[in-house]
Amino acid sequence: MTRRLHLNVNILNAGVFGGSWRFPGTDALASYGVDHYTAIAKKAEAAKLDAVFLADGPLLDPSIRHRTGNNLEPTTVLARVAAQTERIGLIGTLSSSYNDPVEIARRLGDLDHVSGGRFGWNVVTTAGSVAARNFGRSDEPDHALRYRRAANFVERVVAAWDGRTELRSPQGRPVIVQAGGSEDGKRLAARVGEVIFSADQDMEKARAFRDELRSGAAGFGRNPDEIVVLPGLSTVLGSTEEEARRRRELLDELLPDAYARDRLSGQLGISLDGLSDDEPIPTDLLRDPIEAGGSQTFNRVVREIIDREQPTLGQLLKKLSGGGGHRIVVGTPEQVADDVERWFRFGAADGFNVMPDVLPSGFDDFADHLVPELRRRGLIRTDYDGTTLRGHLGMGVPEVRAVDETDLVSAS
Amino acid sequence: MSGEALAVLVELDVGDAPSQVSLADADAIVAAAQDAGVTAIRLVDHVGDHVSVDPTVAAAHLAGRYGDIGWVVDAPTTHNAPYNLARRILSLDRATGGRAGVVLLAGVGDEVSDATAPDPDATDAADRWVEYAHVLTQLWESFPAAALLGDQENAVVADDAMIRPVDFDGRFYRVAGPLDGPSSVQGRPVLIAVAPADVGWARVAAIADAVVVGYGEIGGAAEKLEAALSVAGRRRGEVALLARLDDDRAIPELQAWSAAHGVDGIVLAVDGAVPGILSTIASLPQQGSSGRHGTLRAGLAVPNPRGALA
Repeated sequence: MTRRLHLNVNILNAGVFGGSWRFPGTDALASYGVDHYTAIAKKAEAAKLDAVFLADGPLLDPSIRHRTGNNLEPTTVLARVAAQTERIGLIGTLSSSYNDPVEIARRLGDLDHVSGGRFGWNVVTTAGSVAARNFGRSDEPDHALRYRRAANFVERVVAAWDGRTELRSPQGRPVIVQAGGSEDGKRLAARVGEVIFSADQDMEKARAFRDELRSGAAGFGRNPDEIVVLPGLSTVLGSTEEEARRRRELLDELLPDAYARDRLSGQLGISLDGLSDDEPIPTDLLRDPIEAGGSQTFNRVVREIIDREQPTLGQLLKKLSGGGGHRIVVGTPEQVADDVERWFRFGAADGFNVMPDVLPSGFDDFADHLVPELRRRGLIRTDYDGTTLRGHLGMGVPEVRAVDETDLVSAS
Repeated sequence: MSGEALAVLVELDVGDAPSQVSLADADAIVAAAQDAGVTAIRLVDHVGDHVSVDPTVAAAHLAGRYGDIGWVVDAPTTHNAPYNLARRILSLDRATGGRAGVVLLAGVGDEVSDATAPDPDATDAADRWVEYAHVLTQLWESFPAAALLGDQENAVVADDAMIRPVDFDGRFYRVAGPLDGPSSVQGRPVLIAVAPADVGWARVAAIADAVVVGYGEIGGAAEKLEAALSVAGRRRGEVALLARLDDDRAIPELQAWSAAHGVDGIVLAVDGAVPGILSTIASLPQQGSSGRHGTLRAGLAVPNPRGALA
């Protein structure tokens, strides 16, 4: 069978760019209504994508003054999307640090059943003290502890699904999705992940990451071909190169400066107060990703940009554009299709977790113009041939591993 | 609340087992209930030891197909950290245009909260229920809808000064807040208590928007509620009293029956097969006119909370 490219659309509220919600013609607050999500999911299904994806954390992002945030609980949104669609996969993010394993096994298993076997669980360990404080903690649990808990937590949940006698899913059980570029994250992905989200700017590094995961999975006795690696990809499309470039420039202009600085500051775990936009960030301020706390993946991605390009602070803020560090491609549908095809054929990706610049307009462009181009090249399906997410991903149901029955670790 | 239409809730236990209603049958029942002007569907969490389809999932799913009926979901404190449950219920409430509520069931804690319980010696389920109810209502009002501005010109999504942490610091829970999303059009989801004698009428009356009593508890319930509300400084009209009936005997004279017992509505929990449930729904007096109904609070004739829309 021809290897096919997998595509998810990440419905990241108003879009991945920090200024997305201000883009001309955009309803600034549309992402605070559920119809925003169901409409994009219907469009994604019409485009025959693998799945929609919802990022999430149990917290209000402190940047709310200047950018829209995720604001609807994913399982309730996806249960609704399931009622209004038939085929599209439904991937939702839920924290392994801040959920009870019994409750989440039941709820997610039921969602999978109700959706006809279309659900995937994106397991995250949830960095940061803001979420921790909503659950009686003063700060985030230590990184290694979060991941140790996550591995055991996922295995318990999977075992609970496997043991079901009622409300079983047509796809056997939900797909385990995982994103984590840290050493702890990679080990978790190799052990339990079926779809792996990644963040890489560089094609060679992305291929090395994919190879490492595949051999890691083989080391755990798994079939590496049943792992799907999807780097994040932000798209800025125009009908001409010039139009796409202008769209990107406009997004830079719309990016609220205070938000961009706060976000970068959080990612690097340092204060940017008093630093000029015209100078690079002083090297002695930068902290080791493992020491800085928060997400190691995005700290590392930003550090690599700094090392490679030596940007001024202003240039770096523009480059990230409030998007955090996922790769941004700007161009015509043909140009972006070239880029997508190159990564895919090089072995750097099995597909992409697509983060349109602005929602819904950026996804409309993607579905109306880029998808037909990818289809013309034979890279993506022309129609669904299954009804489940596992079917779309070409995956079977792996054996269940023995569960460590000792108590779950939990930070206090 | 005399003269108002009675609230009618239809209770369903959705699942695969022979004793349960399948999802497909639930769909047909909701369609009939919506047509009959039923106020809301109540989705139970479990019957005995047998769990139902997760009620928040079932409600969100069915609400994606039926937009003009309310949703009342049962949720125990057990296994649910309050921040997570508050989010799910408010998400459902916003997605349904203010048509959602929760029956908060007294129970034990959850794996996440228990690890950092402020007072490990606090174990009373009724005490926990009250604390939990306060966390929910405070979180639901922590991000007022009016704070959302969407001011593209001045690059202000929300007036963050209006969004306040709750900083709840109790014996069972410590929850900082605020919630991630804005309050709903009905101010906040409806908070419902069952088995008020177990938690205590005084505690329930201080915070609930509605109280469900079983058939055997109807006698004297209205008086107990009224007395407890008066101690709490609340009016009778602020809380709906609902009687849970497991047969349809009261339906032919529903108005008179309800008036005689001082209740504001009923929860129909008809045991048995789907045809029986459908014929019970068909026998209901038509509730008001056809066309769009309002929020769940409007359907229960209880007011929006004072704080949320201020």
